[in-house]
Amino acid sequence: MGEEMNVEREYGNWLDEVDSVSPPDFFTAVLDELYARGPNPQETAQAQEQLRRAMASVGHERMYYDVLPRSPIGSVYIALSERGVVAIDFSDGEEAFLSWIRKRTGVYPLRSPERTAEATHQVEEYLAGKRAAFDLPIDMRFLTDFQRTVLRAVMKVPRGEVITYGALARVIGQPKAARAVGRALGSNPIPIVIPCHRVLASDGSLGGYSGRGGVRTKADLLRLEGVSL
Amino acid sequence: MVTKPNFDTLVEAHSAEIFAYLWRMVGEKADVEDCLQETFLRAFRGYSHLVSGSNYRAWLYKIATNVARTHFSRRKRAAIHKVKIDPSRLQGGISPVDELDRQEMLMVVLEAVEGLPYKQRAAFMMRKYQGLSYHTIATVLGGTEDAARANVYQALKKLRAQFVTVTEGSREKPWAKR
Repeated sequence: MGEEMNVEREYGNWLDEVDSVSPPDFFTAVLDELYARGPNPQETAQAQEQLRRAMASVGHERMYYDVLPRSPIGSVYIALSERGVVAIDFSDGEEAFLSWIRKRTGVYPLRSPERTAEATHQVEEYLAGKRAAFDLPIDMRFLTDFQRTVLRAVMKVPRGEVITYGALARVIGQPKAARAVGRALGSNPIPIVIPCHRVLASDGSLGGYSGRGGVRTKADLLRLEGVSL
Repeated sequence: MVTKPNFDTLVEAHSAEIFAYLWRMVGEKADVEDCLQETFLRAFRGYSHLVSGSNYRAWLYKIATNVARTHFSRRKRAAIHKVKIDPSRLQGGISPVDELDRQEMLMVVLEAVEGLPYKQRAAFMMRKYQGLSYHTIATVLGGTEDAARANVYQALKKLRAQFVTVTEGSREKPWAKR
């Protein structure tokens, strides 16, 4: 505290400078050039209009989320709508997860351990090696048709088995689309429950994985399912 | 018994000001709009827990400060971000001799500002460009008024020191003369 008082006494003129410099020197002029104007009225009006729209949609649909804090793959966030699981994430923190869902769905989920209990419980059991398959509704409204097709196909690959990107492309009747299949899996919003980790490159290597820990996590999940790598 | 204002009233009363603050803290236009929505959605989520009669303005600033910080740490992690200046942001107040020097000068200051410790940058913007009192800044940042003052002072000191280093390194340039 004493030190701060000292700062005040010693550098009082510095602080005055923040409040008013006249005439402004070049340093202040450069700062002002960057920051003084602020957003123009049109920009502001546009942003406010978007904000009103975003706020109006709040409450029209409810989503809920919760976190499994200490799973073997770190914190796992799970979000549900009234229709089913919307997103699972174990890469970023809570705020990043929520903001990602909002951007994707226009809904801001509320924390509710009660409403998400069944889903978190199943994921927890799975990660503990006590559950082979999930029995959860999935909400795929926020995906493209192609993503839905790919993800539905990969859901049919059972625990303990793997498939290649190319083979999956053939399964959905688009044998030339292996790359697009890879991209659709890379943006899988519901990893683990939709087992994109069971899809490997055609040379048998792991391919990619966008969750936390990358391909190492992918390998861990496969080993958990009894796949020998 | 003071009743809390309707949340929409807060949106209408403070969104322009918070937008201006985020404009100064975040930069890129699309990101600023996004951070504005994020701020008010987070605020909406927490509004029922807020005590009536609170300093709503400071509370919104606090949320906006956190939102902008999250935005920055994510961007830093992406590591592809390059500081750049959108010409439409400038007010045209300085006219150094040649355009290259001018750009260079603006870049130096912009990078110096973005390089400040986050609290210092936030305190500086709130004081100098948002015109908040030290009392309010202290509420936003969660410290004493003296600490808020010290943050602003440190920011300014660092910025000026960097500015002087650069301009002295190029004394022959006309704009470097005071």
